[in-house]
Amino acid sequence: MEKIISIKDLNYTYPEAKRSAIKNLSLDIYKNEWLSIVGKNGSGKSTLTKLIDGLIEADSGTIEVAGQIINEENIWEARTKIGIIFQNPDHQFVGATVEDDVAFGLENQGMPREEMVKAVDEALILVKMADFKERDPQSLSGGQKQRVAIAGVLATKPQIVIMDESTSMLDPDGRKTVLNLVQQLRSQQDLTIISITHDIEETELSQRIVVLNDGQIVSDGKPEEIYDLGADLQKFGLEEPFTSELVSTLRDTIKLPDGYLNEEELKEQLWKLHSNM
Amino acid sequence: MEITFEHVTHSYNPNSPTANLGLDDVSFKIQDKKFTAIVGQTGSGKSTLVRHINALLKPTSGTITVGDRVITPETNNKNLKPLRKQVGMVFQFPESQLFEDTVEKDIMFGPMNFGASADDARESAHKMIKLVGLDESLLEQSPFDLSGGQMRRVAIAGVLASDPETIILDEPTAGLDPVGRQEIMDLFKSLQQDGKTIILITHNMDDVANYAEEMAVIHRGKLIAQGIPQEVFNNQELLKEDLLTLPKSAAFAKELTEKGFSFEKLPITINELGTEIEQQLNGD
Ligand SMILES: Nc1ncnc2c1ncn2[C@@H]1O[C@H](COP(=O)(O)OP(=O)(O)OP(=O)(O)O)[C@@H](O)[C@H]1O
Ligand SMILES: Nc1ncnc2c1ncn2[C@@H]1O[C@H](COP(=O)(O)OP(=O)(O)OP(=O)(O)O)[C@@H](O)[C@H]1O
Ligand SMILES: [Mg+2]
Ligand SMILES: [Mg+2]
Repeated sequence: MEKIISIKDLNYTYPEAKRSAIKNLSLDIYKNEWLSIVGKNGSGKSTLTKLIDGLIEADSGTIEVAGQIINEENIWEARTKIGIIFQNPDHQFVGATVEDDVAFGLENQGMPREEMVKAVDEALILVKMADFKERDPQSLSGGQKQRVAIAGVLATKPQIVIMDESTSMLDPDGRKTVLNLVQQLRSQQDLTIISITHDIEETELSQRIVVLNDGQIVSDGKPEEIYDLGADLQKFGLEEPFTSELVSTLRDTIKLPDGYLNEEELKEQLWKLHSNM
Repeated sequence: MEITFEHVTHSYNPNSPTANLGLDDVSFKIQDKKFTAIVGQTGSGKSTLVRHINALLKPTSGTITVGDRVITPETNNKNLKPLRKQVGMVFQFPESQLFEDTVEKDIMFGPMNFGASADDARESAHKMIKLVGLDESLLEQSPFDLSGGQMRRVAIAGVLASDPETIILDEPTAGLDPVGRQEIMDLFKSLQQDGKTIILITHNMDDVANYAEEMAVIHRGKLIAQGIPQEVFNNQELLKEDLLTLPKSAAFAKELTEKGFSFEKLPITINELGTEIEQQLNGD
């Protein structure tokens, strides 16, 4: 597997802060991977993404993006490879209309006007916001803002997309649609996805979950490995997946296999028990 | 206080070509001292609806009654303070309600604005910050130097500090870690049990199933259903039209019915679902 981001011994403390936000953190992220980053409020997730995008500078340690260690000179070039959807979409908006806003990133890339108009339309159709083209982004509902912020980043076709809780205000169906869209673009455009989320269901889509706690990585594994952590999940601010919770309420009276079961597996087990009655 | 909407319509930019209806002839009651959830798709009008309750928005037509206070299209911004003291609101984006240079001042602002002494307000800030699961040491910090979830908690603390009778929560747990989400939801529930009216906007149907006593469904500016969660989540028409998402337990139960299991009513919480499955498998 080809590394697209390689982080070594990273440290960061905010000016005047008493505690470090990132402590000696090392992490390799592979091309075309979907990586989830989870952890308690204040564990350092957003700080890590700001470091990767060079919005803040590490106190020590290195970050390599697509083979190049980022520094002041090449950060602009590195940034063209990365699209970040920020935790608060209001921080993202620059245009007076939705359309201008999505166009902004493309303009920066020097895309010719005609091509740009088309790309903006396409991106807005993908997130189902084409009808809102002429609206002021500030006047949108919470979920609509998130959709536009997503369109703005996807339109620029970055190699790496960082989503910082960017679907937290979408309704359940809308969230599924957007995540499926991202999944589809990942395979079509060979994207790498880094998704910060508190939604355990969303992490099921990823290949790997990294758990941050107090600025450090405390766990790194496949989703089913992480879901199997049991009581430690709570310690790191996480919730048990739905199926695990259901299985633990059933275990007293019903015989089920050990280990994590996903919904399909649990359904199969229950159906089997039912048909053997 | 009981809250009543009578034929409330809200049109954004009513006289321009881009006019759009945020609310379309909504009539309903929110019961006093209950826990009511408001759900609906992105852009359906939930935030618009609740902003009428403390007169941040005025109706284009119709009337809202909050206790003995009546809000009409003619209501102006004078003398709204008593209403704002009674009805506290945690906004969808917490940053939009943080503005002081320290967390402590931010939480103290509400109580002092409504007449509390600085000492009382400070005491309440220290109490509230712990209640929302943050360390007291954060009180000295700027609210803008916090993580997203920490800001959310400060915004909640700020509203609770004024001790409003009615608490409106616009997606208050978006951005909270799951353990924090549950703690904060438990906190809201306990406030309601102490006599507050809670109005919660959320996309989390499990929270609706676990905490709400009443729910209302908004779709394209219209109120399309209201009732107790157990019934609304079993409303076949809504489900057929995809106007409502089921809590996880109900969705799972529905799938179990494909082979062998059958439920008179879809269970909406894990406990209900577990009990049903046990009964059906153990035959007692
Ligand atoms: N601008 C800032 N100045 C000082 N400290 C900050 C700043 N931003 C964040 N912090 C602190 O750094 C730590 C890590 O914050 P970060 O925003 O990375 O957390 P997070 O994991 O993204 O949390 P959340 O889930 O709440 O978004 C927290 O303790 C936070 O209070
Ligand atoms: N200031 C405004 N000007 C024009 N239209 C607006 C304004 N505020 C909201 N709207 C529109 O009114 C409709 C309802 O918005 P509202 O914010 O009430 O939705 P919501 O149900 O809270 O959605 P979400 O779950 O995404 O927050 C949306 O289509 C929105 O774009
Ligand atoms: Mg964050
Ligand atoms: Mg809203």
